Amino acid sequence: MSRPSKRSGSKERLEARGVAVAFGGIRALSGVDLEVRRGEILGLIGPNGAGKTTMVNVLSGFQRPTSGSIRLDGIDVSRLTARKIAQAGIGRSFQAARLFRTMTVEQNLSVAAIGSGQSRRDARERALDILDWMGLAAKADHRCDSLSYGDERRVGIARALALQPSFALLDEPASGMNDAECEALMEVIAELPARFGCGVLLIEHNMKVIMGVCQRIHVLDGGQSLAEGSPQDIRMNPAVRRAYLGEKAADSTLAI
Amino acid sequence: MKSNAMPSLASIGRFWLPVLALVVPLVLIVVVTGQFGGLSLQRTVVEMLISIVIVVGLYVFVGNSGIISFGHATFMAIAAYGSAWQTCCEMLKPITMSGLPHFLRDQSIPLLPSAIVSVLLAGAAAFLTGLVIMRLTGLAASIATLAVLFILNVVYSNWDSVTMGSASIVGLPTYVTAWLALGCAVLAIVVAYLYQISAFGLAIRATREDEVAAAASGISLYWSRLIAFTLSGFLVGLGGVLQAHYLGTVSINNFFLGFTFLALAMLIVGGMGSLAGAVVGVVVITAMVDIFRRLEGGISIGGQQWSLPAGTQELIIAAFMLLILVFRKDGIMAGREIALPQQPQREKGLING
Amino acid sequence: MANIVQVLVDAIALGSLYALVALAIGLVFGVMRLVNFAQADYITIGAYALVVPTASVTPPLLLGALPAAVMIGGVLLVVVVLALLTERVAFRPLRNSNPSTLLISSFAVSYFLQNLVMLIHTGRPKSVGIGQSLANAVEIGGVRVPGVQLLTMVVTAGLLVALVLFLKRTPLGVQMRAAAENFQMARLLGMPANRVIALAFAISGLLSGAVSLLLTIQTGTLDLRMGLMPVVYGFFATVIGGMGSLPGAALGGFLVGVASVLLQTYLPADLRPFRDAGVFTLVILILLVRPQGLIVTSAAKERV
Ligand SMILES: Nc1ncnc2c1ncn2[C@@H]1O[C@H](COP(=O)(O)OP(=O)(O)O)[C@@H](O)[C@H]1O
Ligand SMILES: [Mg+2]
Repeated sequence: MSRPSKRSGSKERLEARGVAVAFGGIRALSGVDLEVRRGEILGLIGPNGAGKTTMVNVLSGFQRPTSGSIRLDGIDVSRLTARKIAQAGIGRSFQAARLFRTMTVEQNLSVAAIGSGQSRRDARERALDILDWMGLAAKADHRCDSLSYGDERRVGIARALALQPSFALLDEPASGMNDAECEALMEVIAELPARFGCGVLLIEHNMKVIMGVCQRIHVLDGGQSLAEGSPQDIRMNPAVRRAYLGEKAADSTLAI
Repeated sequence: MKSNAMPSLASIGRFWLPVLALVVPLVLIVVVTGQFGGLSLQRTVVEMLISIVIVVGLYVFVGNSGIISFGHATFMAIAAYGSAWQTCCEMLKPITMSGLPHFLRDQSIPLLPSAIVSVLLAGAAAFLTGLVIMRLTGLAASIATLAVLFILNVVYSNWDSVTMGSASIVGLPTYVTAWLALGCAVLAIVVAYLYQISAFGLAIRATREDEVAAAASGISLYWSRLIAFTLSGFLVGLGGVLQAHYLGTVSINNFFLGFTFLALAMLIVGGMGSLAGAVVGVVVITAMVDIFRRLEGGISIGGQQWSLPAGTQELIIAAFMLLILVFRKDGIMAGREIALPQQPQREKGLING
Repeated sequence: MANIVQVLVDAIALGSLYALVALAIGLVFGVMRLVNFAQADYITIGAYALVVPTASVTPPLLLGALPAAVMIGGVLLVVVVLALLTERVAFRPLRNSNPSTLLISSFAVSYFLQNLVMLIHTGRPKSVGIGQSLANAVEIGGVRVPGVQLLTMVVTAGLLVALVLFLKRTPLGVQMRAAAENFQMARLLGMPANRVIALAFAISGLLSGAVSLLLTIQTGTLDLRMGLMPVVYGFFATVIGGMGSLPGAALGGFLVGVASVLLQTYLPADLRPFRDAGVFTLVILILLVRPQGLIVTSAAKERV
């Protein structure tokens, strides 16, 4: 609804500054700086438990950081509720799709469009547009509890897009998909910046996929930033390879 | 089909089908029992129609939000008493309800305005209550609605000079006919339907399915629930007015746990996930209550007088509700509206709740 | 001065009674996310077990006629069996349902039991004389404490201590606490659900049975709704204490009990009948300030 209107070029970004999150004794994140620019796809990778989902939760307002701040286009949004952050233009998908199960696919998307301030009619139109584009138009009136696993995940992403976000945070969107599905999905994701004018934060385990689709990659390990750079840089980075592939593989080349 | 041109008759029919599928049978019931039914059957039908207003009202909040409310009898009571204060027993009021303000105590207010005011009162009460308790989620909210029910019960049972305490107020004008009750039931169904397919309805249903994903979609749990709670307060308030002016009496004991149980049983048995469920539940439970009441009253089979002990009906309703919860937990209608099956070349109609 | 002490004694007695009820509710909630309305009927039925089931308003005694120890044991047994029975028949099949469904099913169970009692005993209150010798007041340090109240305090204190010991010192107790603190986790870690849940019901039955006896001795009457108010107070106590927190439940119980006694004492006479409304309003206000309750457990927060 109320989106920060001023967007001078240098400010078009979603930033985490020195974000730390502790769950009791567990330090899920410690002092992470991260930045997604509009129009780019930033890959966020790291082993299980590295804190990737926690980072998405922080960026989308579901987890208040123990310290540090979140800035959207230069404005501090750390204290906003998840709903306000969504309305400010940060859309997210969930690791488990979390669809509104008894509602139709179209209604799932429309909810997000309504959440961003649209009328029922416009919401429906936007929903159908997105579904069309993602090749899900035929499923528009299916209830979500009747969808296949792959469709469920795609609807989850489509719903995040229906918010018409300036930043989309996608938490392992391809997990559990087979290679062909995964590839098709990545094609869709690669087009997001151009089509929606948004920045994308993509969490993904498949290195091949993430190398192909991202302009920059940020690596987390044990809640800390390990490296950030172009796919090339990351591929060559010994620390990343140690963390990601385990000690044994550290000196073999990454098979891509 | 994104044209804004004249919608076809078929698409209008499709749009209204879930409503028509409920309303038409109700009209038929009223017509048939009006022609051929006995007096007691006719009474049962009117009671059923009033229950539809109430349970559909309850459904607007409980069904759409997924939060059980024990507090809706409160808003019914507020409307019923409100109407009693305005219209009841002009001669006796100054004595029996001496604590009323002058403009109520010493005169009666015409029926229609008084009914409207009473319904507004219920809606306002629901809004104010909702402002506070819709901040809570899930079970805490349910238990807070229970607190509201108890607060009202304690206050109205003891506020003798205005409510006559736990005694009944008698002598309300009884103007409710089968047709009026039917009209109100249809109104409630239409309002509930339009609400649930609106943007607000979609939003609150999303919160029911997944609060987290709803928030991530920019939906305010608080506001969407508050709207539902208020609207639902208006509707049960209407039910309260109808009941008061059908029975001609108002008593606080009728707006407590027993009544709350019956209304929730209707909603659960039919299935709280859909409007059709709410209506079907009322019909089924009303029929059961009626049948067992008759059996308790005694029937003669082959010259033998035969009856069930009083209180069987309550046991059976409770057991039936438990069976539904165990074996068909989404109720008879399982969260679905009555609609045409999906067609492959379907027009992307506005249907579906 | 003595007056204030008197009020304090009242407040502690009632507070600890409600704490007991709240713990009974909290234990069951902890292991299966059920807010159990039927708890009210456990209390009621425990009390009615004292008399022979008839329509009479001054019924002959049944369990109540037995020697004290046997009577107490009998009542507790009846309530424990009842609690286990409802668990087995009504709640176990619903174990994986959401909390709202469980809540509503317990409402149905409660309605069923209440009407069953009504069918057997009629709805009229009955008088029953047990523990009359306890009516005499005992004088302690210048304050006259009715024997019943003294008994209430001693019994509830004893039960609270026993419960705490059980929860802290025995393996099953520890499991139960773990379940209450983090339900999902306990399930994942393979909490022996049947056993732990049955035990929680048994203990809540035991506590309810104790409340049955205390209430009956206090009032000398049996009433269909005698369990209702304590359990409603118990609900509010568990909510303001923080759902899933056992210390919270006990704390909440004390708070509502104390608030009730204070209002009863200090409200002007013509407002006293509205005491309960005052307490319940207070409950809602506390929830406004602390929606998660006073003691927030991880059970209350969902992991995104
Ligand atoms: N709500 C929570 N409570 C306690 N610990 C948590 C919570 N969320 C995440 N964690 C812990 O934080 C760490 C990071 O988790 P997560 O962000 O989910 O990792 P990733 O998504 O990279 O696999 C893990 O050790 C996890 O167990
Ligand atoms: Mg993750």
